[in-house]
Amino acid sequence: MTAAAFKSSAEAAPQSGARLLVSTLERLGVEVVFGYPGGAIMPVYDALAGSKLKHILVRHEQGAAFAADAYARKSGKVGVCMATSGPGATNLITGIANAMMDSVPMVCITGNVAQGLMGTDAFQEIDILGVTLPIVKHSILVRDAADVPAAVEEAFHIAASGRPGPVLVDLPKDVQFATTSDDYGFHIPNETSRIDHDAVAAAEAAIRAAKKPLVYIGGGVKIGRATEALRAFVAATGIPQVSTLNALGTVPTDAPRMLGMLGMHGARAANHAVQDSDLLIVVGARFDDRATGKLAEFAPNARIVHFDIDASEVGKLRAANVAVVGELKDGIEALTTRMAGGPALDIQPWVEACVDAARTGAYRYDAPGEGVYAPALLKEVSEAAGDAFVAACDVGQHQMWAAMHCRFSRPEAHITSGGLGAMGFGLPAGIGAKLADPSATVVTIAGDGGFMMNIQELATLKRYGIPLKIVLIDNSSLGLVRQWQELFFAENYSEIDLSDNPDFVKVAEAFGIEAFRIDRRDQVSEGIQRLLAAEGPCLAHVVIDPRDNVWPLVPPGKSNAEMMEGS
Amino acid sequence: MSNTIHIQIDRADGSLQRLIGLVERRGFHIDGINMADEGAFRRISLTIRGRDAGRCMENLGRQIDRLFGVRRIGNDIIQSEAA
Repeated sequence: MTAAAFKSSAEAAPQSGARLLVSTLERLGVEVVFGYPGGAIMPVYDALAGSKLKHILVRHEQGAAFAADAYARKSGKVGVCMATSGPGATNLITGIANAMMDSVPMVCITGNVAQGLMGTDAFQEIDILGVTLPIVKHSILVRDAADVPAAVEEAFHIAASGRPGPVLVDLPKDVQFATTSDDYGFHIPNETSRIDHDAVAAAEAAIRAAKKPLVYIGGGVKIGRATEALRAFVAATGIPQVSTLNALGTVPTDAPRMLGMLGMHGARAANHAVQDSDLLIVVGARFDDRATGKLAEFAPNARIVHFDIDASEVGKLRAANVAVVGELKDGIEALTTRMAGGPALDIQPWVEACVDAARTGAYRYDAPGEGVYAPALLKEVSEAAGDAFVAACDVGQHQMWAAMHCRFSRPEAHITSGGLGAMGFGLPAGIGAKLADPSATVVTIAGDGGFMMNIQELATLKRYGIPLKIVLIDNSSLGLVRQWQELFFAENYSEIDLSDNPDFVKVAEAFGIEAFRIDRRDQVSEGIQRLLAAEGPCLAHVVIDPRDNVWPLVPPGKSNAEMMEGS
Repeated sequence: MSNTIHIQIDRADGSLQRLIGLVERRGFHIDGINMADEGAFRRISLTIRGRDAGRCMENLGRQIDRLFGVRRIGNDIIQSEAA
């Protein structure tokens, strides 16, 4: 029993633990649950029938976890997935790790064998609480049916508060069956974030002393619902910005002083601005190695002002000269107020140099040849879909092309497996995002490698008639691995050939999904129109040259100042 | 240099494993453990040292602080003979 729980009623009619789980989810406002039944969670599935919850039956538990993750990213609510014990639970693991790495609020409910059998190697018994300890924000093993409501409410609170993350609730089968008249609730602790105003004043002083300040925007801004606050700050001060992969769209990618993504596949202007800057204002970012390149040479002349809700991120990889720990929205708003109360910054030469570099270094889309140029196609998809565009990306070259070339007008428009880099994310993520926001034009952008990892979820699309659009960029190989083998392993192409892929159009059609092929540049515009106009789910199979690489590139282990350019 | 940290944790399933796992995963050797019962809590003292010079004890403390059901009480720095 959790210390914060209270007994709200002892008079209620007896209910099973499974029924209490379902009624608690309903009370918490959950609308959609992604899952897959099995032996140790059957009482919960019995209680689900007739509930207000919409259960989406996926075809593999990993699909449930990824869909719940993307549902949370798009809606801002807690995503919920459930699975049975043993293999059902272990199949959730990659999705749980994905949510942990990108700080996504998610509650994962697993059945387990009855408590008397736990520890006996019972059929489908896995210590899922133990297995998932390093990849959850928290986990709760519920040992008494009366504790179910409090445990679930606590799980939701922990998942969504502070720095969000996944919380596992493990329910042994006897707890699901047991009946209780007790109904405990969870007292949500009253946590008020207090911003250290001396630190904000120090941040202001650092900014006023800087000649070359730059904002390094991380995914925490979106998560902390601080997008508007950050936009107001950059509008008020005119400081140029760079974005991490997970923050794209926080400031619209076509905004005048947004220099683009930093890091390994970042924009040249963004990386050079970071290297030149004398002050980095880091907001909800964590100095990931894909963003920083060789850490010792990252932003060598810059002082650091670090805003984060998680104190353990401050100084983890790069010492901060000023740290403002707390809700980003409060911290940034306080800083904007202070900045607005003083004179305008005198940074015009720096801003002009940054903006000029971004303009002269802008990506070009005039690649020679008749073949499809994926960056141009992805750019066109995003522009054709407009502000309704939401990309649910898989992992690989297409993911980097989408990040570099698509237009994102809001951070929720870009859903990607950033920290974990989990292939197979794109299709189930598209399902979750579309269910979270039916009005959005959700486009799954996948490669042929990752698409095959969760291709079974085409059946989920068909079953629920989810009008997801899929752009499958097929280079018949594991492109990003192939690119590294070409550049850094002396063209020793090892196990990257996927030229025996199935005919993806036929595969989609076999699942009952409209599909067509694009293999020439002159088919692109018409193909995009067809894809976006389709009433139901639709797949565009886009064939590209396996030799196409992602450029520019910071070689692994090198400084971001050393970008390579391809031919 | 080794360091002893004192932690109070609740008795929930997995809490001990959660704490020990975090310390090792974040790059610290555990040289000694002491544990005593305190009613609904356990009090644990861990003597630890970083696996390499890049491991920051302060940051580990903040990572322990953010675990649920875990409360860090304090730490004593011990100059070990090896250091």
